[in-house]
Amino acid sequence: MRSYRTAILFLAVIFTVVTAGCSGTMSPVSKAKATLEVVPAEIFLSPALIKSPVSFKGAGFQPNEMVSVEMVVPKGLEIKGVGKDEDAVGLAFGTADKDGNFSAAMQPTATLNWFFQVGWTPLLRPDFKQAKPLPPGIYQINATGMDSGIAGSSNLKIVPPPKQPQK
Amino acid sequence: MKARYLNICSVFAGLFLTLALFRVTAAKEVSYLSLADYTGPIAGLNVPADMGLSDFIKEINEKGGVDGIKINFIGIDTRYDVARAVSAYKRYRRTEKLLMVNSISTGIGKAVAGLIEKDKRAQIVPGDGEYQAHVQRTFLWGPAYQDALAATFDWIMEDWKAKGNAGAPVVGYLSWDNPYGREHLRGGQEYAQKIGIKLLPPEFFPPGTLKHDVYLTRLAKGGANYIHAGGVDPTPTNVIRDAYSLGLTKKIQFTTDYWGPTELGLGVHAEVLEGIVITSFFQRGEDAKANSFVTDMWKRNRGSMEKFNEVYGMGISWGITFVEGLKASVKAAGFEKLEGDDMYKAYQTLKGLDKKGIQGPCAYSDKSRRGSLEVKIYRITKGKALPISDWRTAPDAVSLHKF
Repeated sequence: MRSYRTAILFLAVIFTVVTAGCSGTMSPVSKAKATLEVVPAEIFLSPALIKSPVSFKGAGFQPNEMVSVEMVVPKGLEIKGVGKDEDAVGLAFGTADKDGNFSAAMQPTATLNWFFQVGWTPLLRPDFKQAKPLPPGIYQINATGMDSGIAGSSNLKIVPPPKQPQK
Repeated sequence: MKARYLNICSVFAGLFLTLALFRVTAAKEVSYLSLADYTGPIAGLNVPADMGLSDFIKEINEKGGVDGIKINFIGIDTRYDVARAVSAYKRYRRTEKLLMVNSISTGIGKAVAGLIEKDKRAQIVPGDGEYQAHVQRTFLWGPAYQDALAATFDWIMEDWKAKGNAGAPVVGYLSWDNPYGREHLRGGQEYAQKIGIKLLPPEFFPPGTLKHDVYLTRLAKGGANYIHAGGVDPTPTNVIRDAYSLGLTKKIQFTTDYWGPTELGLGVHAEVLEGIVITSFFQRGEDAKANSFVTDMWKRNRGSMEKFNEVYGMGISWGITFVEGLKASVKAAGFEKLEGDDMYKAYQTLKGLDKKGIQGPCAYSDKSRRGSLEVKIYRITKGKALPISDWRTAPDAVSLHKF
């Protein structure tokens, strides 16, 4: 009886390993943890974010590796240009220094494309008429070392814009 | 109890067999990743280019693939955002038999290049001369941007002399304020100096600029006889539209690079574009419409020629190169052991590959990352892009710059 259990366990382990190997898009997995800070951690969407963009600071990455900062796409939320099978969208990237620290800021195209979800006119101007700004909520932000797979996580809170004072 | 265990074992065995069968039947596939812009600022040209590539791949697959190997085209919409492209590459970099990455933006190519080296893969990029100066795993679509600018300067000198002028003309340059916009001058500037052209201080503006009057006026006041307008169509079209409004096109000859007016700009501003000159490594306008290899594929897959854009042919050219690279890499490594590194090696053997007239023959070798060496000069005449030169070898301007 015990030999059957062992055989099943063995088969289960092999099956898991083989199926994992078939998954071509696996990312490097690392248990090491990095830290990530989103600056500011709370925003409301306004054109001011183009000039003063959301930025990211992290520590604990492998020295000199590229770090990709991504926003996890909440289930049910559609983002222009992002496939339904994609669970994250890149917001920024940087390179860790010799101590494993990195900082990066969102470029205007990233803010326009992923926060405001603007359209683009034939004149290459962002078209805010077609914009579909991200709804208020808490968004998970991940920073991942491209060589090590070391990852850090934090949140960005998007709040509704303040109400205009009534005239 | 024994029967129950046997049942569980048979379920696992079945799963194994299914999986093994799946691997056998679905395994003969390689992937091509396009970090493209389908809904962002350069979508107007990127969409028809990837249409050409995907149609070419579709037809290859329908005929059974390359030695039975199907090509999986993965198109990612970066919306011209580098961070999105880096993140997308992270997602797909471990895709089995991902043999080529097309980074459609100079900025994306530069950001991804280091990862491509680490992954022992290859990428293609528009025209970044840095990768010809330091030969690595990044290949260019055609001649480097600076080579094409040098070819434009050669044409400017010819035109200047043909008009009976003595000495050398004054030339202005304006383009996007990004890696693409600056790349042309890294060698182009040195070439201008070499042939005696006086190049005015370059003007850079952010993509999306609505009016270009300030930059144009500054160049005109500097005494420009010629102005080279960079940016991806419709930007050059818009720059020249502004120059037309200022009355500058009457006295200054405008030139553009690979991404100058296509059917996209001509369809909107044919009148203001009259007389402008385009330097291109791929067939434009009437030339492209006369290439039956390209137009037949368009008609088979897209129907009416009404919405045809010549950039479609450039996409087909990417496909021709990829397929020949795949054949060479499979021959060298066999399918089972095939990796990105094999494609990188194969691309270096493609020198002389015929591109069906879409562009000059492939120039890839162990020392060359240029997709081809030739450019053709076109002029907008009565609303059509007509060739005013044959294919001509672009000067090597990359070697003039210290990278």
